[in-house]
Amino acid sequence: MESKPRLTILDFVLSAVILLLAVFIFYRIKIGLNYRWRWDFICQYIIRIDDATGKAVPGLIIRGFLITIKLGIWSTITALIIGIFMGIIRSGGGLASRLAGLFYIQLIRNIPPIVLVFIFYYFLGSFIIELTGLDRIVYNSPDSVKNILSFLFTNPARFPVFISAVIAMGVYEGAYITEIVRAGISSVGKGQWEAGKALGMKRTAILKYIVLPQAIRYILPPLAGQFISTIKDSAIVSVISVQELTFQGLEIMASTYLTFEIWIVITLLYFILTFSCSIVFEKIFIYTRRSRSF
Amino acid sequence: MKKISILMAIAVLAVLLFSCGNNEKPASGMNSSLIDEIQKRGVLKVGMSTFMPWAMQDKTGELIGFEIDVAKRLAEDMKVKVEFVPTKWSGIIPALLTGKFDVIIGGMGIRAERNLKVNFSIPYDYTGMSIVANKSIAGGLKTLADFNRKDFVIAARIGTTAADAVKKLLPLAELKLFDDESQAVQELLNRNAHAVVASSPLPAYQALKNPDSLYMPFEENFTREPIGFALRKGDVDTLNFFNSWITVVESEGWLKERKYYWFNTREWASQIE
Repeated sequence: MESKPRLTILDFVLSAVILLLAVFIFYRIKIGLNYRWRWDFICQYIIRIDDATGKAVPGLIIRGFLITIKLGIWSTITALIIGIFMGIIRSGGGLASRLAGLFYIQLIRNIPPIVLVFIFYYFLGSFIIELTGLDRIVYNSPDSVKNILSFLFTNPARFPVFISAVIAMGVYEGAYITEIVRAGISSVGKGQWEAGKALGMKRTAILKYIVLPQAIRYILPPLAGQFISTIKDSAIVSVISVQELTFQGLEIMASTYLTFEIWIVITLLYFILTFSCSIVFEKIFIYTRRSRSF
Repeated sequence: MKKISILMAIAVLAVLLFSCGNNEKPASGMNSSLIDEIQKRGVLKVGMSTFMPWAMQDKTGELIGFEIDVAKRLAEDMKVKVEFVPTKWSGIIPALLTGKFDVIIGGMGIRAERNLKVNFSIPYDYTGMSIVANKSIAGGLKTLADFNRKDFVIAARIGTTAADAVKKLLPLAELKLFDDESQAVQELLNRNAHAVVASSPLPAYQALKNPDSLYMPFEENFTREPIGFALRKGDVDTLNFFNSWITVVESEGWLKERKYYWFNTREWASQIE
């Protein structure tokens, strides 16, 4: 049986402090700022009725929100590929590969992500796109392909920038996933490796059949956290004009001067997105732990 | 400030990289001009940044504004489609140099130091700087010189000629830079800045919109700046095409008519709000 939590003096003090803070912020906004609130204009940026068809279509902010989600998912997939590969390299194998892994994570983790995003956009991004001819392929593809691309990624015209952003974010987040994977692998006891070896299994086989299945349990929870942080970090790519949530917000602000309303809406949207993700992940972990326990 | 230095470094690197590339194979620039490439691609890629009322997003997310009309007409006359690449103003020149778009049609003032990095067409428009001030902390001032005080904070958009004008004409005042004008104006409304300098008609709009807190110390512009298309160096054919195009639409009176619509009427205001 769980006992009901009792209210202590500390709880009351904390509540009072939070209340005071809220009142202070409200006061600052209401009186300290010379600002005319115009919430009525916000709705059309969230959802609006298309004049031509009469149907409800997502407004600019929601379009940015969807790009943020896609950016989060694709960056995490890229980061996972890099992270799993580098994580395995880093936890074993030869000296050269271990050093390569170390070099990668030390380099990336010691560079501010904004610099990385710029470097990818201005140099590597355009180089990769030129090399693969991605730009032309997208332009010359039939409309059906373009529709699929714009559903999965972004509208074809913005495709190269989106790819630069995904690569930059993937490489950046990949460094953290590398460490998560390495930590997961090293939490599996040494005995497991030795047992595998005693059975005459090769290193890759031990990894595949013995170590990784057990390591997954340690890897998944921090990985979910990393996904949420990828979503938050994705605001950085607004500097290279990827039309995600922050960028759209900044653009609307430049046109309408509704600075505070839009920042508040953006904050709420990021919060809703990341908070619902963390609840979903928590539920999944509780479920998997329960199903494992017997 | 950190961001600017990063951008500057990247701009310098980009220019270096490009100048290296040009030295190695000068022939490639001469064989295929940008005009041919645009025709082949069927799309003119235009770099721009949101500046009211030059270029802005309407309710549906479509771009509208004076520059947008100019770019659309240009593409139409080239018989290609137009594609806008909204780019942050602070990074727009490096983005042009690294080939993210073909041309900047974004109200870019023609200036010698910019011209060292990019080519400019002949001017298709002229603009000037004007100033809007806060009534409560900088009220009753009449001339630009009144704002040249050590205890004054002047806000402007980063990387614009407005910022240069403040540095040159109001050297004593403290210059505060923002990513776009809306933030600068907000700072002014919050009484953290005494005045905002920007291309007209923005200051006048803001004074009209907030009559109880802002005012225009004087109505006329204090600078006059030519505005041109910016494109990468080394392409004479494209530059010639743009110049001729501007001469033609100017003679038609089309530029003047569009400018009147966007700058002297507010007929378009319902498209935004």
